[in-house]
Amino acid sequence: MKKFFSLGLIRGLIWQVIGTGIGVGFVTLLRVLMGLPAWKAEPATVFGALLGVLFFLIGVGAITDWYKMAKGEEVEEMTDESHLGKMRYFGASLDHKVIGIQYMVLSIILMSVGGMFALIFRTELAETGMQFLTLIEYNTLMSLHGIVMIVSILVGIAAIMNYTVPLLLGASDMAFPRLNAFSFWIAVPSGLVLLSSLFLGGFDTGWTGYPPLSVRAPLGMQMFFLGVALVGFTSILGSINIIATIIRLRSKGMTPFRMPIFIWAAIATSIISLTATQLIGLSFEMVMFQRLFGMGFFDPIKGGNPILFQHLFWFYSHPAVYVFVLPGLGIISELLPVFARKPLFGYKWVAMSSLGIALVGFLVWGHHMFTSGMAEYLRVPFMYSTLLVAIPTGVKFFSWVATLWRGKITFPVPMLFILASIVVFLLGGLTGPPNATISTDLHLQDTYYIVGHFHDTLFGGFMFPFFAAVYYWFPKMTGRRLNEKLGKIHFWLVTPSFFVLSLWMMRIGLLGMRRRIADYDPALQFQTYHQVMTYTGYFIAMGVLVFIINLIWSAKKGEIATGNIWNSRSPEWQVPSPMPMHNYDKQFEVVGEPYDYGIPGSNYVKFDGE
Amino acid sequence: MADINKKSNLRLGLIIFGLLTILTLVEFGLAIYLNIWGLLALLAIIKAGLVMYYYMHIYRLFEPDKETIHHSYAYKIVTNRLGLWLFMLSDAFIFGGLLISRFNLMGFTRPELSQPLGLVVTSVLLVSSFFANRAETSMATGDRKQFVISTVVTMVLGILFILGVLGVEWQLAPFKAADGVQGAVFYSMTGFHVFHVLTGVIFLGIVLRNGIRGLYSEEKHWAVEAAAVYWHFVDVVWIFFYPALYLIGIVIK
Repeated sequence: MKKFFSLGLIRGLIWQVIGTGIGVGFVTLLRVLMGLPAWKAEPATVFGALLGVLFFLIGVGAITDWYKMAKGEEVEEMTDESHLGKMRYFGASLDHKVIGIQYMVLSIILMSVGGMFALIFRTELAETGMQFLTLIEYNTLMSLHGIVMIVSILVGIAAIMNYTVPLLLGASDMAFPRLNAFSFWIAVPSGLVLLSSLFLGGFDTGWTGYPPLSVRAPLGMQMFFLGVALVGFTSILGSINIIATIIRLRSKGMTPFRMPIFIWAAIATSIISLTATQLIGLSFEMVMFQRLFGMGFFDPIKGGNPILFQHLFWFYSHPAVYVFVLPGLGIISELLPVFARKPLFGYKWVAMSSLGIALVGFLVWGHHMFTSGMAEYLRVPFMYSTLLVAIPTGVKFFSWVATLWRGKITFPVPMLFILASIVVFLLGGLTGPPNATISTDLHLQDTYYIVGHFHDTLFGGFMFPFFAAVYYWFPKMTGRRLNEKLGKIHFWLVTPSFFVLSLWMMRIGLLGMRRRIADYDPALQFQTYHQVMTYTGYFIAMGVLVFIINLIWSAKKGEIATGNIWNSRSPEWQVPSPMPMHNYDKQFEVVGEPYDYGIPGSNYVKFDGE
Repeated sequence: MADINKKSNLRLGLIIFGLLTILTLVEFGLAIYLNIWGLLALLAIIKAGLVMYYYMHIYRLFEPDKETIHHSYAYKIVTNRLGLWLFMLSDAFIFGGLLISRFNLMGFTRPELSQPLGLVVTSVLLVSSFFANRAETSMATGDRKQFVISTVVTMVLGILFILGVLGVEWQLAPFKAADGVQGAVFYSMTGFHVFHVLTGVIFLGIVLRNGIRGLYSEEKHWAVEAAAVYWHFVDVVWIFFYPALYLIGIVIK
């Protein structure tokens, strides 16, 4: 029992409860002292939730070292936590590999929760009329599905980047290990705050939280805003770490164009999340202030402008899509040469295309607002800038196809997911331009076509590459490989179902099915489609369940794989798995090109003393 | 050698401070008599550039490494410096967002505020920036006593600024937060900024305490540099917020 309470996570949760209580009490006391009616739920809950998150961070020990530094005490460069065994995954660890796995587990948990929400309201949609959900319940689940999945994706890319970036660079850890731990641990209490909106009246705005609706929504809205704004710090601080690590801690000889291609994707992603994330935080804080203090940012009666919210919001939330997919596309480019046994076609172009997508991504946010009533003259420039994104993305597709061309392709599970993600992302990409073109978008806005489109881009750009990455790097994490048979079941359950799901979403969208709504007219004759889509949803869920079972089972009993099972040239596979505390015992030097597969006698890295 | 450094540091600090003072006064005069927003924005950019170059030493980011071993102190400091600048870049986006919101909502009108009072608060911050720079350069040349004095002065001025905004500005303003869009803009912009000043004061307090206990030396004083650079960053933000709130545009009642 004592051991249980010594876990950082448990201590953090206890502290969070205490902190929330103190916050609520403080606001109530303040109101009493000011002579106001004692209980007002909104300020008390918001302040309580905020304090709860801070207390969690104290309780979990994420800021202990900083506190010691501020007091002028010496802190150890890096404590050896290996004696803690598995327990170190439940507390504030500084090891980037531990943090990467923590991120991964959190991401899968959130993915399951978000997926569950989707299953519930998908079941509701299988028939016309309202079956077992009320309207606000439906809206809350639909909104939370969106935002929980987005948080899960942000955490998921952080998982991959945290685990692999220092390994690929040959660094012993991230540039700022304490900041790294802090970035992870702030996601946990903020995620809880976000989910608490379910029990505080829910909210009905969708994940976009547009005012004026979000100004009138129930209390759950505030928890949504606060939770997302705080999770943003995971992104922001994480990207500081990634950029600094990449710029400062590359091993000898690793010039920019000899970096693994995933590193380029990581840096492009980090540029966006470092800067743009602040603006979604700001826009959400502004609505929170409007609700708490009556500030009239988005209230036309007070001279405010609701469109301003959409500008600030989409300035992050469109590039956010590239935050989600760029690491995934990087994984495709990283893994494809390994399984095609050929050099990556057009390395420099692929590297530049990642940066290109990231930078063009800053100029396209207005295409979400063609029907919002923003200034008319902004439409056409935003249309062209959006279509411009297709060029760097096309470069990537060209490179992938050319890499596969005449390769000696093998089909283990990671490769299956990579191939699926290329196809799915292609579908997502091709269905994009109709949304970017004003004339068609006016018709497609707010239909299931959009839903199908972005599920395609996110499954192709994140979900499938994420699965591939987990199958690929799992042996590095544990020394055991994931079961291939279960992996194939996972793949074949998810992929065909997903094709049916997303293509039919687009089909009924084109026929006039509106998105976000809880009910639809039986005369539209969509019921059969919705039923099949609900079944496919359950198939996908079963696939993910198989994946989770596989993870747990293989971590304990999987086939032992300590060597270079994929025959990769990448440095992390040249040493036995799992990695020791400070990664590489011997430093390596980069002596060749990273993806010269099939070229005899070529080496990417040379370890000291070889 | 150290003495020469001390003197030249002080001289440079004073020259930059003088320039900033002149520019601030020119800005104020221009706002009263001409009020061309482009000119005011240009002056703010020049001021920010001066602070960023001479007080925040942005050029240090681009200096080649003296030490190439990743675990050495010198190498780590350069990494830390990069991290701090990345953090400030990120933070700048929140302030940029506030500025954009201000112009989106209010255009070329400004909140109904006392311009001389704004100048007073601004000068407090400006003087504090000079002393923050003095604190850092004193530590770099090993002048402990001067470091302590300058840090204390900076902190006092910072606290005065906070009190000035919260205690005077917020109380004297003829509108409340819920009163129209000017209330929203004014209280959110000053609120965000004052919060950053507060964190800066706390940061300086930590540095002061550890400095008195002798934890920093001429060679190793990264915390002092970071606290000073952060302080200047908050100052740079105000360099843009000040004209946006007090100078640009006309008051509509």
